[in-house]
Amino acid sequence: MEISMTLRVIIDVLIGLGVFFAFAGVVGIIRMPDCFCRMQSSTNIATLGLFLALIGGLVYAIFVERNAATAAKIAFIAVIYIIQNPAGGHAIAKAAYNRGNEHLKSVVDDLANADEAEQPATLAKEGDE
Amino acid sequence: MKSLRKTTFPAVISTFVICFVFWLLITWSLAVQELIAGAVVSLAVSLFAARFFIHEKAFWFLNPVKLIVGLIYCIVIFPIELIKANLDVAFRALSPKPRVNPGFIKVPVGLKSDYGKAMLANSITLTPGTITVDIEQGKNDTGNDECFFYIHWIDVKEKDRVKAGDIIKGTMEKWVRRIFV
Repeated sequence: MEISMTLRVIIDVLIGLGVFFAFAGVVGIIRMPDCFCRMQSSTNIATLGLFLALIGGLVYAIFVERNAATAAKIAFIAVIYIIQNPAGGHAIAKAAYNRGNEHLKSVVDDLANADEAEQPATLAKEGDE
Repeated sequence: MKSLRKTTFPAVISTFVICFVFWLLITWSLAVQELIAGAVVSLAVSLFAARFFIHEKAFWFLNPVKLIVGLIYCIVIFPIELIKANLDVAFRALSPKPRVNPGFIKVPVGLKSDYGKAMLANSITLTPGTITVDIEQGKNDTGNDECFFYIHWIDVKEKDRVKAGDIIKGTMEKWVRRIFV
């Protein structure tokens, strides 16, 4: 299959940008201070990191392979992902909040007043790494 | 726990259509055997799942105006918010010292329908930098319905709830309201 230069550049740039965002997300997961901030950073991978790579794959499937089945399946991955990912996100965030003291590093905590006050008395003093 | 809703005929039909379209997408063939098998499986699934899947109007997606507005939201409005937030969080993570100022904010939401609330909450969660942790629904003093999202925000710029809500939701709430009220 011959790939024209323009297509090749477009596909490579899309996938490269996707890889950049995935990299930033992984660095964030390692460096962020608490569980919730790590989740925020991992959303980087889940959204633009994945979607730019998928769009690159879609362009490849449509213009180079000319295979409608592959293109449909790539679009299917994107749709399923955009529905599933937030559901998992809500569940993990709520569980992490209920489970531990991770949220004590927060500046504002409106959720604490909503539940029955079960705030521990000692606030962890957080120094920089 | 609320009791289960009744399975209505329009809900079964619309669930069936969605299941069958997904079947066609995955198998990608028009052979008669595949179509019959897909129809049987879709019907069985939609009989069981319609009551969980469709709650209000079953045929809202046949309204062309809402469909077009929904497409504009998914292709133009939401990706713009997504790219802005992605760049912000990516540079936050890559900066020499991670700049975070996290907090949980209670944000008022003006949407009425379940679909609208779910769509806005999912949009907020998909945007890097904000995660919807919990939803509180109830009645206020004057008896109107009100709804609050508890949102974890990586950089609390504004502690006032209404202003913070404007920053977090941006243009998204306006567009979701055009689709789902």
